[in-house]
Amino acid sequence: MFVIDDLLINPVVSILEGIHSMAISELYDTTEIKNEIKENRLLYELGERSEAEYERRNGELEAQLEIAREAHEQTRGKVEVMR
Amino acid sequence: MSSNRYTYGVIEQAPLDIDVTGVDGAPIDTVDYRSLSAVVSEIGTIEPERTDENAAAHDEVLRAVLQSDGGRTIIPMRFGMVFKTENALKNVLRNGRVAFRRSLNDLDGMVELGVKLVAKEGSTVDRRAVVEDVATRLRAVADTEAGNDLYSDRLVFNRAYLVDRADQPAFEETVAAIRDAYDDSLLVQYNGPWAPYNFVDIEIGAEGR
Repeated sequence: MFVIDDLLINPVVSILEGIHSMAISELYDTTEIKNEIKENRLLYELGERSEAEYERRNGELEAQLEIAREAHEQTRGKVEVMR
Repeated sequence: MSSNRYTYGVIEQAPLDIDVTGVDGAPIDTVDYRSLSAVVSEIGTIEPERTDENAAAHDEVLRAVLQSDGGRTIIPMRFGMVFKTENALKNVLRNGRVAFRRSLNDLDGMVELGVKLVAKEGSTVDRRAVVEDVATRLRAVADTEAGNDLYSDRLVFNRAYLVDRADQPAFEETVAAIRDAYDDSLLVQYNGPWAPYNFVDIEIGAEGR
């Protein structure tokens, strides 16, 4: 019984985990967020973005980055995040 | 009192007189090993947070050293390098002394200058032609160049240059000429002088920390 259960369940689980990890990878791409943080800073330094706008956007992006890091942390060791 | 030492970079050993404070407002000190000194400050954590304020403090210390005493050379550390004790840091200086000495010699009298070109909103530029032209002009007044990441679609050019201090005025004139030439389509960001972040590559073993 144990063997049959295992065979039945495992493929499903691994596919689900695969989908989940891909979703996390796309939703929580830290490189992309870090690039946006740098772009925001650059446009502020060049005077194209106001300080208020820079601060607001930076706050949003930092929060996103934090969430993304936590998401990666939680999946580490359980599923491999494909890049 | 914490024994942790936040480390900014490595210099030739000689008295250091700079008027800035470090990360978390801590006073600047040095840890010496033979002819080398590490520029440090005390810190309560081993994982300092990379806030804008802390990153700026790190850069400020490096720039102050660069400008001190008529222009000193420093091998910069990346943000966040903390050693648990002075002895751990001395071990790193000892183990890396050949590499540190070589870098200090290679970088003597040099500063890093950065040039970024950003497409103005709505403007279209021939990126390849711009990059070729600008790179050729800047190479003529620099010692070495290093390419950096184009992290934004708006970024057309992002490079760092190692420049002899004596050539800095010529480099700046070249940047001004580039700004004039592309005034209708590009914003030019010139920055520096920085410690030569992009021109040293010394691996420090984690076991030393």
